[in-house]
Amino acid sequence: MKTIKRVTLLLTVIAGLSAAPLLRAQSHPVAKPQASAIEVEMVQPGDISLPAEFQVALYENLVQELQKNGGFSQVYRDGDRNAAHDPHLVVLHTTVTAFKQGSELKRDVTTVGGATSITIHCRFTSKDGAVLLERDIDGKVRLIGDNLKATDDFAKKAATVAQENFSSDSTSSDPKKSGYKDVI
Amino acid sequence: MKLNRFILWFLLIVLGTLTSLCLAQPPPSAPASIEAVQVIGLVGVKQNTKGNLKVENGALSFAHSKSNCEISAASIEDVVTGRDSQRAIGGTVGEISRLAPFGGGTALSLLRNKVDTLTIQYRDSNGGLHGAIFTVPDGAAELFKDQLLAQGARTSIPSQAKLTSDSPLQSEAMEQTN
Repeated sequence: MKTIKRVTLLLTVIAGLSAAPLLRAQSHPVAKPQASAIEVEMVQPGDISLPAEFQVALYENLVQELQKNGGFSQVYRDGDRNAAHDPHLVVLHTTVTAFKQGSELKRDVTTVGGATSITIHCRFTSKDGAVLLERDIDGKVRLIGDNLKATDDFAKKAATVAQENFSSDSTSSDPKKSGYKDVI
Repeated sequence: MKLNRFILWFLLIVLGTLTSLCLAQPPPSAPASIEAVQVIGLVGVKQNTKGNLKVENGALSFAHSKSNCEISAASIEDVVTGRDSQRAIGGTVGEISRLAPFGGGTALSLLRNKVDTLTIQYRDSNGGLHGAIFTVPDGAAELFKDQLLAQGARTSIPSQAKLTSDSPLQSEAMEQTN
């Protein structure tokens, strides 16, 4: 009888300890800025010597991925006059911080060398310029595909970040899954 | 006597003028239409779509099997050319060929074609910025760029012909994308 009581008490304590963080998390939900629209500014090469085709491919892939998977009802391009009238707007500024142009031929022949990689500093701001989120996101092509495929890889990761942090139908944020590094 | 000399001089001048006109070579002109691949950027056109690219009536036109896409040259804010190479055997066959035994896939990947890239940035009617990338046969991009510039497009990097005519030293600053 005494043993049953002890076991019951122990189980109750364990259950209570397990449930406490869950209840705490529910009582303090993380406030996320919600946005229904995003304006994508042209990718800035910064101090990096970036070929024009990479700059354009980064921008176009980013716009396309945000339209497909960003979770925004509207994706505006750089300079679109309609963006000014949208009350729930987030602006995405991107600057290249690192770029290594590999070689498709080298990748094909060696399978280990010739990777193309690009790192971009992404800054999400509100309409009035207040910084909401900053992330360094990279894009890579290691084995199969041409060099511009790295821009597609970056765009997919950036769209995931935007979807997780600003879209209303977002799920939990997992940096490992998205392949980005927190800056703020 | 004086009249004969005058006629002789007149005939010589006319002959010289005609000869110089006949020997003068016409400036290189871009082909009317050329096979190109739209890598990315045109609205309503899938990535890596093959088609025909041409410049006419103040617009860059890309025609493919499903539709025709036109961009006004005046709306083009930047035209840049570059050089690249691509696998001679592309597409699905190219991907399957990678699996060829005894290093055959690697050997096939050594077969590459030189291509030019033509990158443009333009604004739509709402002021939104678009970019588009085309690959064209080797040597064609610069001619297309010259034609676009002649029809009102702008560029951040002056064309090769302009650089050469301006200063031979400036040609060292030519765009290098590879």
